[in-house]
Amino acid sequence: MNLKCVIVEDLQVAADYLAKCCEKSGQIDVQAHFPNVQEALVYLNEHAVDLLFLDVEMPGATGFELLDQLAYFPKVVLTTSKSEYAYDAFEYNVTDFLKKPFTYQRFLESLQKLTTSTPENNITSTATDHIFIKSDGKLVRLNNDDILYIESMGDYVKFVTGDKKYVTHNTIKNLEEKVNKGCFIKVHRSYIINITKIDDIRENDLFIKGNEIPISKAHRSEVMKRLNII
Amino acid sequence: MNQPTLSKQFIFNEKINSDYLFSLYADDYPYIEEVFSVTLQHFDEDFEAIQVAYAGGDIADLKKGVHKIKPAFGFVGLTDIQQICGAFEDACQEATEKEALKVGYKNLVASLEEGKLVLEAEYRKLKDFNANPL
Repeated sequence: MNLKCVIVEDLQVAADYLAKCCEKSGQIDVQAHFPNVQEALVYLNEHAVDLLFLDVEMPGATGFELLDQLAYFPKVVLTTSKSEYAYDAFEYNVTDFLKKPFTYQRFLESLQKLTTSTPENNITSTATDHIFIKSDGKLVRLNNDDILYIESMGDYVKFVTGDKKYVTHNTIKNLEEKVNKGCFIKVHRSYIINITKIDDIRENDLFIKGNEIPISKAHRSEVMKRLNII
Repeated sequence: MNQPTLSKQFIFNEKINSDYLFSLYADDYPYIEEVFSVTLQHFDEDFEAIQVAYAGGDIADLKKGVHKIKPAFGFVGLTDIQQICGAFEDACQEATEKEALKVGYKNLVASLEEGKLVLEAEYRKLKDFNANPL
């Protein structure tokens, strides 16, 4: 499946060239192009994309400021005419850095990095007792013990704790591999729950702090095995 | 961006780094024409932003303006002007007052104006070339 991308670039000729490279590759669908951060943010907060081609210096805000304000982490390739952003690029964990103008061959090398890099996700630490998620432009530490359950919302997931909800760009399938399996279990294609937080189970549903969560037939047996039934 | 062919060749003005241009687009002359056209469409606005910034003594905006126009010259093969822009951008980084940029600015403006003239002429020639492929 092709990568959905957005180009954020104030130089029209550079944006056109990039779009042409994407089209020629046959692997990237350009959803939109924006000449500044403000317009891009409006779109990106409504439409999740897989990839951002992002200029750094633009009128108004910089590309890095866009990343600070974005609620999720798509893959990012910086497009700039300066090399001095290499350190920041590293800090923001961008996949590659294209210095304008770049050849199509160089673009293909970048594409290679994109397709071989590990799937992007918004968990930056999978230590045994906590995770970090990116939410509202910052990394938030969530202790496993504070998480009640995780719910799928299409391209996003919702982390529900006792007093807050955090939405971030990710999938249940990806999280299933990332979370501590001692604490968490998938009970439905749309839900991962903290097994220590279950209050009660009634037929095909379980309840956590008043929240009703379905248990699918496929997962029921595994859930029951994990419960300390005496 | 097609593979180079020997079927026809356009001879670019010597100020245009044709090797560099071919490294970007091969001999996709219609696309090169488009690149020239888009660059010319935006040139005046970008150039004016530079002039306004300099007139107002706003070094930060001046640097931004030059930073923006710099790669545009790379995309059209005017790599010498791209380098001049880069050097001036670096000078802006160092400068604390407009006076320190006076000589460099004069050189920059002359280069940009010349670059536009070269580009306009090449665009016209290339347009004719593409319209009459044989």
